[in-house]
Amino acid sequence: MTADGRSAAVQAAAEKAAAELLRQRVVSLFGRSLHIRTLDTGSCAACEQEIRLLAAPHYDLHRLGFFFTPAPRHADLLLVTGPMLRAFAVAARKTYEAMPGPKLVVATGACALGGVYQPDAFSFGSVDQLLPVDVWIPGCPPSPLALLQGLMVAVDRLASKVPDLSFRVSADPAAGGSA
Amino acid sequence: MTAVVLFGIAAAIWAVAAAVAVLAGAAGAAGLTGMTGSGIRVCCGLSVAGGALVLAGGVAALLAGDSRVVSAGGSVVVGTLQLQSSSLAGVFAVLLGIVAIGIGLYLPRSRPEAGAGTAVYLCAYSLALIASLAVLAAGGVVTFLVAWESMALLCYVLILHRPRSEQVAGGAFWFLALSEVGFVLIVAAFVILAAKTHSLQLDVIAARAHLVPADWRDTAYLLALAGFGFKAGLVPLHVWLPAAHPVAPADGSAFLSGLIVKLGVYGIALFGFRLLPDGPAWRGVVTMALGALTAAIGILYALGERDIKRFLAFSTIENIGIIVTAFGAAMTFLAYGQRALWAFLLLAGLYHVLNHGCYKTLLFLEAGVTEHATGTRDMDRLGGLARVMPRAGVIAFVGTLGIAALPPLNGFVSEWLIFQGLFQGFRTHSPLVAILIVVAAATLGLTGGLAIYAFVRGYGIPYLGMPRTRRAAEATERGQPVAGPALLAVACVALAVGAPVVLVGLSRAIRTATGVMLRPILLPGKLTVIPAHTNFSGFSPTYLTVFLLVVLVVPVLIYLAGRPRAGSVVVPVWDGGMIAFRPRMQYSAMTFSAPTRVTFDALYRPSVSVERASDDPAGRSGPVHYESQATPLFERYLYQPVVTAVEWLADFVRPLQSGDVNLYLLYVFVAVLVAYLIVAV
Amino acid sequence: MPQWFARGLRRGVVTTRYPARPEPSAAFLPTPPAFRPQRLTRETADTLVRICPSRALRRAGDTLTFDAGACTACGQCRAAEPEAVVTSGEFELAATSRSALIKRIPLRGEVGR
Repeated sequence: MTADGRSAAVQAAAEKAAAELLRQRVVSLFGRSLHIRTLDTGSCAACEQEIRLLAAPHYDLHRLGFFFTPAPRHADLLLVTGPMLRAFAVAARKTYEAMPGPKLVVATGACALGGVYQPDAFSFGSVDQLLPVDVWIPGCPPSPLALLQGLMVAVDRLASKVPDLSFRVSADPAAGGSA
Repeated sequence: MTAVVLFGIAAAIWAVAAAVAVLAGAAGAAGLTGMTGSGIRVCCGLSVAGGALVLAGGVAALLAGDSRVVSAGGSVVVGTLQLQSSSLAGVFAVLLGIVAIGIGLYLPRSRPEAGAGTAVYLCAYSLALIASLAVLAAGGVVTFLVAWESMALLCYVLILHRPRSEQVAGGAFWFLALSEVGFVLIVAAFVILAAKTHSLQLDVIAARAHLVPADWRDTAYLLALAGFGFKAGLVPLHVWLPAAHPVAPADGSAFLSGLIVKLGVYGIALFGFRLLPDGPAWRGVVTMALGALTAAIGILYALGERDIKRFLAFSTIENIGIIVTAFGAAMTFLAYGQRALWAFLLLAGLYHVLNHGCYKTLLFLEAGVTEHATGTRDMDRLGGLARVMPRAGVIAFVGTLGIAALPPLNGFVSEWLIFQGLFQGFRTHSPLVAILIVVAAATLGLTGGLAIYAFVRGYGIPYLGMPRTRRAAEATERGQPVAGPALLAVACVALAVGAPVVLVGLSRAIRTATGVMLRPILLPGKLTVIPAHTNFSGFSPTYLTVFLLVVLVVPVLIYLAGRPRAGSVVVPVWDGGMIAFRPRMQYSAMTFSAPTRVTFDALYRPSVSVERASDDPAGRSGPVHYESQATPLFERYLYQPVVTAVEWLADFVRPLQSGDVNLYLLYVFVAVLVAYLIVAV
Repeated sequence: MPQWFARGLRRGVVTTRYPARPEPSAAFLPTPPAFRPQRLTRETADTLVRICPSRALRRAGDTLTFDAGACTACGQCRAAEPEAVVTSGEFELAATSRSALIKRIPLRGEVGR
């Protein structure tokens, strides 16, 4: 039993290491050239306006190796906005399944994160009710800078800052910001 | 000589077939339906056998050259029956053989309910085959004219086969009326030549043609061009084609388009290359211009059609235009002394005749299969047929590739040859003529592009995509004829891959017809084709086919060998995320061709009528009736005025036929008086 | 066309250097709030919970749960309790797990302890 158990554990560890290596390789490729497909599941289009600005000269996501593509077959990352209306569920599912693996899903905007709308007859409330989300970008709408940081986090070029933020300040009014 | 013998045997076999058909019909009328069915199969088998013999005879005629004239029987009134196999006619006889075999194999299975009507149809069909053969084998003017007229009348019977409706009668009437008008012009042309050369034998006329004064020669040629143009379908003499083809049964339409219009082309070639070869350049330019115009107008009208058979009819007009353009350019080159190009373009035109006969017959037979399986000819009611009728889909695809002139099939080879001939227009050393030839080539280029567009539509809408109606979804090809169309598809491929063989045969025919030895120029090597002059261009259909096969097959093999071992995920086709893709969301035939109809609306002049139940701008009032129709330009502005003028003239002359006997006696008296005066003076 | 070219030459490159360098215009972005635990009592927390239009704030016992993912940076909480709530100035909020966006703020205010 111990021999089998050890070899099973060793094998599991080896597989995990191989998966991690593959993930790192994929991420290193995505970090150099990432094709993004945007998906609006029922938003007010403010997030779409900010996403559109990413391609403008001021923010210029092309200099970072990111591109927009309309075809899910060519896309690596699905950028989802909106509270996932039930009427859109079939289309969202089809778009996600039309993307070849490996693929990432980024939910952006307070609606998509489940903030603004509760699940009801018209919407699921948040994107992760239907699709597996890898990165969450809050904001209403998130500014293009926040979107850029979110995309860089998605491809592991930047570390996520928010776990270390506490959103607390000391009582001293002079000290601003959160630690 | 062998050719004439083979033709004679074939005609005899077809006569037997006609008799068998009559007997089968009689048996059917007497209630012995079993005998009718087997009689029809026997008749079709004999038809195929006759076709094979004609094919052999045609090849023999190609290779042997013009034989001597065989005279037989006849009477003072009708004249003697004069038969001759010429190499020019041999090409068309080859086509007749192929078409007869294809249609003969198609016929039995397409008429499972064999009745007396079918027997009459088969009798008329067999006799029409004999008449067509007689037109091709005619060595004398009278034989030609008698055969021509019988062929026209028998085709009229063929078109009228369907259950009577106003449309059928109208279509058949257009065919007959225009055929008769053309016949008058043909008779006039032949009479001029026969009178001036004092002979009724075609080869004697050809030998003595240079004795005829130039004005009479040109007049005779123009009359022949117009007269045979009615049959061939040159614009504006084409209006019977879209009227008659949809209403005729599928094999009747195939026979019409595959062979009968080619007889019109044969007539033009007869006058232009055999009887009256030497002529001024303007003759060739006029022919070429007419051909180019026909080609462009034909394909433009084809793009506006939803009915498959009307669409194919207009496509026939387009291809006839291409052939006549080649002939016209050939005549122009001869006027400037370019004998090699003259012979070459004649060869290219004849090659296109063969090719078009094959794939047009094929497409019409497949249209018949489709109509039988689904009950409709409307492209917008079909869809997805290639999935439920795979064999028909493949065969129709071969035909479509051929007619769209895509490599490596036969349409590409012949159209390439025609273009290469036209591009050498600069060798005429006359700037005006060279420009006109280039304009004709450009028109043919436009036509070629529109033809691809039209046939993507003609194949894609009915055969690909999703079925638009339940009948299209439930279509089946069980019990449908497949041997005939399949054989024609094989012929299309053979004419392409075996292009060197075909060119050798045609060069022999051209050598007899024109005296130019094309083969060493055309095929210096074994497999490469040179269009008449070595310093211009060249290509090899055989190598092209091999190359294309390699290019298509090798990547597939590489993919199959190098496929990743891990399983791949099969996901549905990306359809834009639609919840349910409905057949109504697909292109329809008219929306697919909408860009051309908008661009060329000066030609179509569509009349649009829209009816709503109420004026609610939001469209909630109920169904909206939308109708758009292209103006029938030629019928309205050319034929209708002519018909009105004739009717007016008839009304004007009617008082002469008052029915009063006294007036008639007065006419007799006046006529005798005038006759005396003429004779005396 | 020449005016735009001249303008471009005058202005120089306006593309942001973010994320390699900080972006100065980020200072004007609306950002989620930051809380002073010493000023938060149960009453103030309940006021904030009631005010928030996107239900980003909830109170459970003596803990104020702030969902940074649901926050729309509308500023209502800061307008209602300016002593207890300030802007955080943080706009780089991307998270790889949803729970990383949910923050617990202890209520340490004097009244109602």
